[in-house]
Amino acid sequence: MSAEKLTTLDDAAALVRDGDTVAIQNMATQAAPMALVRELIRQGRRELGVVCLVGGIPVDWLAAAGAINRLIGAAVSMEQFGLCQRYRKAVEAGVIRVEELSETALNARLGAGARNLPFLPTRGLIGTDLIDVNDNLVMLDDPFGGPSVVACKALVPDVALVHAHKADRFGNIGYEPTALWPDLGIMPKAATTVIVTVEEIVDSEVLRANPDRTVLPGFMVDAVVEAPFGAHPTSFYPCYGYDTAMHLEWIGSARDDEAVAGFLEKYVTGPADHAAYLEAAGGSERLAAVEDWEAS
Amino acid sequence: MSDWQNSPPAEDWTIDELMIARLAACFADGDQACNGMASFVPVSAFWLARLTHAPELVWLAGAVGLEPRPDRVPASTLEAPLWRDSIMYVEQYGDFWTIALNGRWLTKFCVGSAQLDRFGNGNNSIIGADYHAPRVRLPGTAGLGDMGSIGKALYYWNPNHNPRSLVENVDFISCAGYLGGGTERADAGLEGGPELVITNLCVMDFHPETRHMQVASLHPGVTFEQVQEATGFELPTPEGQLSTTAIPTVEQVRLIREVIDPDDMRRREFGG
Repeated sequence: MSAEKLTTLDDAAALVRDGDTVAIQNMATQAAPMALVRELIRQGRRELGVVCLVGGIPVDWLAAAGAINRLIGAAVSMEQFGLCQRYRKAVEAGVIRVEELSETALNARLGAGARNLPFLPTRGLIGTDLIDVNDNLVMLDDPFGGPSVVACKALVPDVALVHAHKADRFGNIGYEPTALWPDLGIMPKAATTVIVTVEEIVDSEVLRANPDRTVLPGFMVDAVVEAPFGAHPTSFYPCYGYDTAMHLEWIGSARDDEAVAGFLEKYVTGPADHAAYLEAAGGSERLAAVEDWEAS
Repeated sequence: MSDWQNSPPAEDWTIDELMIARLAACFADGDQACNGMASFVPVSAFWLARLTHAPELVWLAGAVGLEPRPDRVPASTLEAPLWRDSIMYVEQYGDFWTIALNGRWLTKFCVGSAQLDRFGNGNNSIIGADYHAPRVRLPGTAGLGDMGSIGKALYYWNPNHNPRSLVENVDFISCAGYLGGGTERADAGLEGGPELVITNLCVMDFHPETRHMQVASLHPGVTFEQVQEATGFELPTPEGQLSTTAIPTVEQVRLIREVIDPDDMRRREFGG
């Protein structure tokens, strides 16, 4: 019999400690575990490091809340909604230290962490200045006599936060057909602790009907939480698209300290729980609109 | 397929359409192409090529959706509406980067870069002298830091040709071009490299020996002096008459406006 992994958002987020390095699934405006990110801010977590491929609004909210002091990632951008202004300000002020990696270098660092290797090599980044400013990247002679490669030191995040379509109560995670980003493929395999929110908790029989859609085994997962619209305001296909109006409201607030405080109070720290957040975000009418992602 | 071969030059073309048509000409049947974030010009160019001279150009939308059938260019080039009806989702960690790194496929890559220097080095990392205390934090290198170093032919597009974006030396190299020029890139063991720079004023390429950027063709109505004025480093004086960039045809303009991008998303990249 497998171990029970089903828990609440509060208890799951409490697994993250001040100072932890937290890998966050996210590709610009896509697929971020936003319910968990909001809960970390509500619980007042401090001095977190974020690992992301292309971080968007979760990075900006965490930066706005003063929750992070370092970032390891390939880019931070909300794409059509522009740069993350609070993150950018914090980096320019020296509050957040950035380890910028190319995508293959980030994948190599996480891949080495996942497979218990000291490093993995990449051919990316050679010739750039990004190697010179990063102690975790070292040029390495090919022992077989070929061209040099870049050794990328293993990275083991303390925690990985993931959002998925479905799970059973034992933490087996199911994904619907959609674009698959490396966050899902490698972050939870490298991290010490894995927390997953899902659109829906289902009976294990549902996963058994399509075992090729099970992307993480329960033994790898420490906590699973049901959070419908848990990636909102980022998109989560095929369930819903990104929320344009909320992204616009955020970028309209992000350059002004008072407006940022008001925004965070309204959507992040004010609402008592995830259900209250969804109400604050416009309730069922607004959510029905983002469900029609083909219109986006 | 449309009668693109016999179509005359358009009279009411706009600069975005000219840049898209010029970039489309860089891609042929047998190539594979992919796009990243905020890439309306490349996406429109791939699509235009597929509707005209290169119907077998393979497109990996957002580097994840193979052979998509989007309804039109959507508001994002990195969201699911772009990769609608894909024939395969290319899992990004295992599959996409394997395809890109292998060397046989995806031999051309389109790059948008906040700064670009005279030797084709790109910068999307920081503005300022100190990486850890930047004057401006840019989004980050994402896949460019890889694509510049793994043998790809790089096609830069820049809809806002100005001295701040085309600089003598980038503040920080986050995409490897010809490095310090001459044989430096080859000496570093890198193949491929910058091929063309397509801006709203001209097309530029790189001298085969010095690897210095030089004007290859001027867009209609643009003078060399105007280009020099808008460029942050000294351009080599052209030998003889510079050619004029081809004007998009009536059919190309129709396809861009009516089929590919009826919502004018491509124009979001201009005037920044």
